[in-house]
Amino acid sequence: MADLKITNLHKHYGGVQAVRGIDLEVASGEFTVLVGPSGCGKSTLLRTIAGLETPDGGTLEIAGRVVNYVRPRDRDIAMVFQNYALYPYMNVFENIAFGLRARKTPQAEVETRVRRAADMLGITPLLDRLPRQLSGGQRQRVAIGRAIVRNARLFLFDEPLSNLDAQLRDEMRSEIKRLHQELGTTMIYVTHDQIEAMTLADRIVLLREGKIEQAGTPLDLYERPATRFVAGFLGSPQMNFIPARLAQSGGGWAVKVGDGTSLALPARQREGLADGRAVVLGLRPQHVTRANGGNRPGHQRLTATVELVQPTGSRAYITFPLGGVPTVAELESHDVQRPGEHIDLDLDMNRAVLIDPESNRVI
Amino acid sequence: MTASDRGTASGMSESTASAMVGASGVATPAGVAPDRFFKYWLIVPAIFLLLLVGLFPLIYSLVVSFQSLTMLEMDYSFAGFTNYIALFKDARLWESLLHTVIITAIALPIELVVGLLMAQLFLERLPGRQIFVSLLVLPTIISPIVAGATWRLLFDNRYGPINQIVGWFAGEPMPLLWTISPYLVYPAILLCEIWQWTPFMFLILLAALSNVDKSLTEAAEIDGAGYWRTFFKIVLPSIWPVMAIAILIRGLDLARIFDIIYALTAGGPGTMTETASIYAYVQGFQQFETSYTAAMAFLIIALLTALVTWAIRRMGLAK
Amino acid sequence: MPLMRRPGTVLAMRYAAAIVLTIFFVFPVYWLFIISFKTPDEIFAFPPVWYPKSIQFANYRVLFKDGDAETVWNSLVLAGVSTVIAMALGTICAYSLVRFKTGGENLAVWIISQRMMPPIAIVFPIFLLYVFFGWVDSFHGLIILYTAFSLPYVIWMMRGYIEDLPLELEESALVDGCTRWEVLWKVVFPMVRSGLFATAVFTFVFAWNDFLFALVLTRTEVVTYTVQVTHYFGGQSNFWAKIAAMSVLGTIPVFFAVATLQRYLVRGISMGAVKG
Repeated sequence: MADLKITNLHKHYGGVQAVRGIDLEVASGEFTVLVGPSGCGKSTLLRTIAGLETPDGGTLEIAGRVVNYVRPRDRDIAMVFQNYALYPYMNVFENIAFGLRARKTPQAEVETRVRRAADMLGITPLLDRLPRQLSGGQRQRVAIGRAIVRNARLFLFDEPLSNLDAQLRDEMRSEIKRLHQELGTTMIYVTHDQIEAMTLADRIVLLREGKIEQAGTPLDLYERPATRFVAGFLGSPQMNFIPARLAQSGGGWAVKVGDGTSLALPARQREGLADGRAVVLGLRPQHVTRANGGNRPGHQRLTATVELVQPTGSRAYITFPLGGVPTVAELESHDVQRPGEHIDLDLDMNRAVLIDPESNRVI
Repeated sequence: MTASDRGTASGMSESTASAMVGASGVATPAGVAPDRFFKYWLIVPAIFLLLLVGLFPLIYSLVVSFQSLTMLEMDYSFAGFTNYIALFKDARLWESLLHTVIITAIALPIELVVGLLMAQLFLERLPGRQIFVSLLVLPTIISPIVAGATWRLLFDNRYGPINQIVGWFAGEPMPLLWTISPYLVYPAILLCEIWQWTPFMFLILLAALSNVDKSLTEAAEIDGAGYWRTFFKIVLPSIWPVMAIAILIRGLDLARIFDIIYALTAGGPGTMTETASIYAYVQGFQQFETSYTAAMAFLIIALLTALVTWAIRRMGLAK
Repeated sequence: MPLMRRPGTVLAMRYAAAIVLTIFFVFPVYWLFIISFKTPDEIFAFPPVWYPKSIQFANYRVLFKDGDAETVWNSLVLAGVSTVIAMALGTICAYSLVRFKTGGENLAVWIISQRMMPPIAIVFPIFLLYVFFGWVDSFHGLIILYTAFSLPYVIWMMRGYIEDLPLELEESALVDGCTRWEVLWKVVFPMVRSGLFATAVFTFVFAWNDFLFALVLTRTEVVTYTVQVTHYFGGQSNFWAKIAAMSVLGTIPVFFAVATLQRYLVRGISMGAVKG
C-alpha cells in the first residue's frame, strides 16, 4: 500500500488554478522531491497534503485512508517549514517536545525521545537555548528535530534550505540524506533547486503550472527528459538548445544547424524523421568537450571561435557560436582559452536529444 | 524602544569639518557649527512647552502644598507637612482611591477579555468585516463626556430604553434609578465605561492577532496542538508586547477617570462613586482648598508615576 | 472527532455574534442621534419611541438660535490651532530624536511619560498660573495647554513614522546640496505625509473630545461643546433634546475624521504599538 496516493487533485489559490489534476503515488520509505519553478504549484500541493489547504477536487489518501477533510494533526504527518517556524518563546527542548506534549505523552518518554532526536541531529548542547540564540543551520536542525521526534508516517519539507547560505545548504543536504537513510521514513520534499532534487530524490516529480511535467528517478529525467522543459530544468549549466533541421546524410540522419554545419546523428529508433523537418537540438555542455584522440562512434568534431570564458575552479565553461546560437562547452579548468581563439571541440551526439519545436516534446 | 541605529545622520559627529565623514559616509562641508546646534533648535520649542506642562505643575504643586492657601485666604507661610498629614488622615481621599481601584480592577479585565474574544471572532475572513469594524469603533471615538451623557439618557428612570428593556423581562415597568440608587450606580458607570472602551482593546488586539506569524500556528496545528494550547502557548506570548501597552494605556486612563463619572453621577450618591480625580476636582474647584488640593495633586502624580514605572518594568517593556 | 468543522455553520454563528455585538455597541449612539431628531412628545413618551416618525431639526435650530452652537466653533478653533502647532513642533522634535538621538534614551522616555500625567493634577496648578496671568477663559490659554498636552503623543507617533523612512533619501539630498532645514522640509515632511495626516487627526480628536481642561479653564467666553453639553444637565430634569443635539454636533466631525483614516486607526490609538 502506498503511503501517499493522490488522484486528480485540483486546487485553486488566490484566483489561480495552482494545482490542476495531479496524480501521484508515493511508496513507503521513498524520498520524493517535488521540484519546479516558482508558481508551479509545488508548495500548494505540499500544503494540501499537509492539510493546511483543502483540495477543490480529487482525492488525497494517506496510508489508504481518504484524508481530504481530516485535520492536519490527525494525518500522522510532520512538517519542516521554510522559515523553520520555531516557537520563539520556548527553548529548543520545549520546541521539539511540543508535539509530544500536545498528545499528552508522559514526561519520561518525552525526555528520551527528545534527547534521541537531538543526538541524531547533533544539537544536544543547544537544548536549553532559545531560537533567537541559534544560527540558521542550528534552527534548521531544531525544526527537523521537531519533525522526527513524533515518528510520523510522512515527513513534509517545504523548501527547508532556501534560507541558508550555499555552504550550509550543502551540509544540510547531506544531513537530510543521511537522516533518510537512518530513519527510512517516507519523505516529500519541495524545492526549486534542481541540485537538491537530483541529489536527494529517489523520485523526482517535476511540476510546471500545476501539472506534472515528468516523474521518475533523477537519472531518468536527466538522461531521458520527456520535454524541453525537463531537459532545460535539470543540469547545470543548462542544456544547449540549437534550432536545426533534419537532413538525410549518407544513409543516416544528421542535423543541420543555422550556419549550415551538419552533425551526424547516431542511428537510433526515432519517430517521425523526415527530411527538412525542423527540430531543436539539445546538447548538454558536459557533452561538448575539447577534442583529443581519435574520433569515437557517434561523436562529431568541429572547430569554433571562443566568445566567452567562465572559469569555476573545477571546470571552465566557454561559449561559442553554433549555428548562430551561443553554445556552452565544458573544458578542464586548466584548459585556458582566450576569447577570439580557435578551439577543436568534440560533440557527443549519442547524448543529444531532439525536440519538436511545436510541442516541445522530445522525439 | 530605541530609535533605530541607522537613524544616525552625519550631523551627529562634532569633530572638525575635515574629519567629518559621518556614519553615512557623507562629508559635510565647512559649516559644522550650524549643524551642531540644529538638532537642539528642533527640540527647544517642544521641550519648553513640555516643561511647562510637566515640570512646572509638579514644582508648583509642591511649593503650594507646603503653604496654607485657599481661594479666600492667601496664607503664604510655610505650613510644613500639615497638608500631607491631613491627606493621610482624610478618609474621603482613601475612599476615593478605593473607588478608583474598584473601577479599574473590574473594567480593565472585562475590556481585555471581551476585546480579545471579539478580536478572535473577527480574525478569520468575514465578508463585510470592514463595515462591522467601522461601526464597532464608534463608542471609542466619541468624547467620554458625550458617552456619559448618552448613557445618562439611556438610564433615565422613566423614559430611558434600558428600563424599558428590563421591564420587558420583568413583566412590569421598572423605573430603576441607575444614576442614584447605591446598588446601581457602579453597574451603570461600569457599563458605560466598558461600552466605550472595549472597542479600543478590540481594535488593537485584532491588529496584533493578525500580525501573528501564520507559520507558527500552522506548525502547532501539524504538531497536534488543539485550539487552546495553541492560543496560550503560541499566540498569547506573541501578542503580549502589544497587549501590555494596551493594558498600560487603558489602565492609566481608568485611574484618571473623570468625564464619565461627572456625567453620570458627579461622584454621587453622596460620595459613593467619587474617584480620585473627582475628589481632587471637588477640593480644588468647589471647596477651594488650594494648598490641600496641591498636596493631593502632588500625591496623585507621585502615585501614578510609581505605578507606571512598576508596570513598565514588570511588563518588561524596555522602552 | 478528526473531521474539520463544516465552514457554513461556523460562519453563520460568527455572523450572529457579530450582529449582536454591533447592536450593543451602536444602539446607544443611535439612541443619541434619534433623540436629537425627535419632537418633545416623542422624547418623553412612555413606552419609548424606537424610531421617530420623521426627522425634525427643531432641536438643532434652537441651538443655533440661542448661540449655543457657537461652542462647536470654539472647540474647532481650540482643537484646530493646537493641533497645527503641536504637529509642527512635535514633528521636528521627533526628527531630532530619531536622526540625531538628541537627549538619548532618557529624553524619549521622559517625553512619553508626560502622556501619563493625570490631567487633574496638571490642570490645577496651571489654573492657578492662569489666574495669575489672567489667562483663564481665553483662547490662547487653552490652546497652549492643549498643544503642550498633545506634544508627547505627536512626538511619539511621528518618531515611529520617521524611523520607517530610509535614511538614503535624506543623505542623497544632503549630497545634492540641501541644508538641513531643506532636507526636513522638502524630503522628510512629504515622505511622512500620510503619517502626519493620521497623527494630526488623532491629535485633533483628543483635543476636541477634551472635557476636564475646558471645564476648569473656561468660564463664559470660550466654552467648548463638551462643557456646553454638561450645562444641560439638571438636578431634576435634563434638557434631553439639547444634550442630544449638541452631542451630535460635536460628534459628527469626529466620525468624518476617523472614517477617512481607517488605515491608520489602529496605529493611532495604540500609540504605534501595532503597525496595523
